[in-house]
Amino acid sequence: MGRVIAVASGKGGTGKTTITANLGIALARLGQKVLLIDADVAMANLSLILGMQSSPITLHDVLLGEAQVHDAIYDGPEGVRFIPSGLSLDNYKRVDSERLSSVVSQLTEQYDFILLDVAAGIEKNVLSALSASQETLMVTMPTSPAIADALKTKIVAQRLGSKVIGVIVNFVMNEKGEITKNDIANMLELPVYGNVPYDPEVRKSFMQEKVAPVIVRKPDCPASEEIARIASRITGLKVQEQANTKKVGFLEKLFSFFKKK
Amino acid sequence: MFKRLIKSFAGKVLDDQTSRPVSQIEFLKDFLSKHKYVYSHDFEENLIVLKRKHLVDSFLVTNLDGSIVVSSEGDGHTDGIMGTAMLSYIKSEMPDSESVLIKRNGHWFMLFPLNKKVFIVKAGSELANIELKALAFELDGLMQAGRHAEARNGEKKKVNQIA
Repeated sequence: MGRVIAVASGKGGTGKTTITANLGIALARLGQKVLLIDADVAMANLSLILGMQSSPITLHDVLLGEAQVHDAIYDGPEGVRFIPSGLSLDNYKRVDSERLSSVVSQLTEQYDFILLDVAAGIEKNVLSALSASQETLMVTMPTSPAIADALKTKIVAQRLGSKVIGVIVNFVMNEKGEITKNDIANMLELPVYGNVPYDPEVRKSFMQEKVAPVIVRKPDCPASEEIARIASRITGLKVQEQANTKKVGFLEKLFSFFKKK
Repeated sequence: MFKRLIKSFAGKVLDDQTSRPVSQIEFLKDFLSKHKYVYSHDFEENLIVLKRKHLVDSFLVTNLDGSIVVSSEGDGHTDGIMGTAMLSYIKSEMPDSESVLIKRNGHWFMLFPLNKKVFIVKAGSELANIELKALAFELDGLMQAGRHAEARNGEKKKVNQIA
């Protein structure tokens, strides 16, 4: 039976959808069978990040009982499979997101990982996605408002019986005022699976004629490399807080500053 | 060229006018410590923990005849009988209904059947069906654990008596 992981944050704009798409591909590269589900039924945009916006049958149709779940599964990049959510506002108002649990339970035997891209907030759609997952992976930014929302989401996920396994810190710029990885681990009482650096390549990936996740377009950029490491940790390699952190010397830091500019 | 490099370096290092928000970090650490829900061996205490965890005012579990199995407030016979009667009536009219939500005097009363019992929850705002189910399943689990513990204690007592 596969692992069902909700990728949640509470706060909007933390990069949940981008992390979900890229993490799914990184897991597939490790030989895992991966299904991505856009569980953000109101503000679906995982399909845009994957460059798969024209999918005729969506999760909306499945939740409305108007289509079978297998008809809503599409082939995504690098072997990842994908269930998009519809962009229609009419259908969003009609769908019963509580049916998501039964939809997911039909698929767990066929995949090693099912990643649910969860909406921001803690409204009904979010509760449905958290309840449909066995595990929750938090995505946050190194700032107090993002961490406050992550805390609330963690409490809600636990209330619904989803085990919160860890946190990914996104948009790390190593500024003095950023809340450190250790502080975040202490505040959320969760292991930090990775520190994804702020990387202009992520943004550039959306600004192409043919949109592709950054891990496909630029697999060697810092964000892609960190997401690949996170995927390894999720598949079972022990999370080591410090061991994987490469010591960077002064000169190397100096040169990287110039390089960034 | 060199001037530009120095400027770039200085900009990176000196323009960082941020500082670690210590008071906010402490505030958020304190926030989580207030939301720790740890169960003990005491069933009554666990009911209080469960109430806090699921943000409800009170709950009641009854058999299908309205007799009380568990009450977070220690009473509630009237609510139990009324609730089960109402659920029974609604189920007879709409057999596929999952739960019943009633707003009365500014409070929400939610009725949810599970394992031949009726869970009656009172809260300031309505719970989503998912939240109601999560509460009912957790309470059912605690009740079962409580029964197992009682059975184990009973066996120990018997062994002590025999010894």
